[in-house]
Amino acid sequence: MALLDALSAGLLLLGGLFFLTGTVGLLRFPGVFDRLHALTKADNLGLGCVVAALILQAETGWVAAKLVLIWMLALIAATVSAHLIARFSLRARGGARRTPP
Amino acid sequence: MIDWTFDLLLAGGLLGLAWQIVASRILFRSVVLFIVFGLLMAVTWARLAAPDLALAEAAIGAGITGALLLSAYRALLPDRDDGGEGGSPPPAVPPWAAVGVAVLVGVLIAGIGWAVVGLEPPEQTAGRLALAKLEASGVENPVTAVLLNFRSIDTLSEVVVLFVAFLAARVVAQDLVHAGPGDWLRASRREPLLVQPLIAFIAPMTVLAAGYLLWAGASQPGGAFQAGAVLAALGVLLRLTGRLRPTEETSLPERLVLVGGLVLFSAIGLASAGVASAVLEYPPGWAYELILLIETALTLAIALPLVLLFSGSGGLRGEVR
Repeated sequence: MALLDALSAGLLLLGGLFFLTGTVGLLRFPGVFDRLHALTKADNLGLGCVVAALILQAETGWVAAKLVLIWMLALIAATVSAHLIARFSLRARGGARRTPP
Repeated sequence: MIDWTFDLLLAGGLLGLAWQIVASRILFRSVVLFIVFGLLMAVTWARLAAPDLALAEAAIGAGITGALLLSAYRALLPDRDDGGEGGSPPPAVPPWAAVGVAVLVGVLIAGIGWAVVGLEPPEQTAGRLALAKLEASGVENPVTAVLLNFRSIDTLSEVVVLFVAFLAARVVAQDLVHAGPGDWLRASRREPLLVQPLIAFIAPMTVLAAGYLLWAGASQPGGAFQAGAVLAALGVLLRLTGRLRPTEETSLPERLVLVGGLVLFSAIGLASAGVASAVLEYPPGWAYELILLIETALTLAIALPLVLLFSGSGGLRGEVR
């Protein structure tokens, strides 16, 4: 058990680190695309590490499955919204008139 | 130690955010911070071991209210195409008035707090009474038992408030300014490739989650309000992506759903006056079935006004894309 706990703690710390760097990047980077780049690290890897840590602590398989589902939903939502923001800002600055999807 | 640090961070964050929301000169910033405030509030409720409230706060306070505020903010933006004069800054409250109100409210809250702290703790609180009588309520979740059985009149009033809010919004509603799909949805521009898969995955998942919340409400945290808010979120998503088109008039099915929860709730409550002993008291043995029936109707009656409020329209039609 101690090994599992240590692994969980390590993953949680790693996830927190990803969130921290992502947030710092979001606040410090100048442009939209740079910020999106920073944000995706926090969303995907940070949340992934946290979910993995929680799965190690899950009591039943169902809880683990729900956690994975939450992670997947967050991944999909983050992907699509980042895509839409990037697309919009590319157009807003008069970039490609017809951006390939 | 860790608990204390976490609680302090939460409380400090809430206070700081609240100040930022009120003091910020930039409206958009206030709106975004309010959404963050809702999320922190949800975490706070979870910390206080009130998962029902945490769910409701996250779904309604942060989610739906945030969407409503953002849509209101967009409506406030001056129309760039017109170059019109719209979007005059809101009238500023004079500082002395703000300080006066703040001091008054602070004194009031402090007075109430002082009075409450001085009270003798009652022997028999309503909460303990409700927990003791939980078996008679027909459900296992104490919160649902209170909301739908012991204090169902409160829940009924809450739904009335939502319905009246929707009616009031319709009364003052302007013509559908944003009726058309957004800029990027015009026929000349293709929809972003990722939107359709997102809808295809999210829509069934949301319906599933809403149904789960509704069903789980009997024994675990969940219930009509949370399920309704989740359904409403799906409606907002469909409206934003152009799957639902706003219309001025409300169709008959929409009207039925809008009043359905209220009518069913009231009818069952009044009928119970004859069958059981009092208004809004369920006949023995039927409590669970009736609560589930009412909650289902309420879920829809909560979801639809929220979506319509967001959409700013009287009704919605499906749009085939």
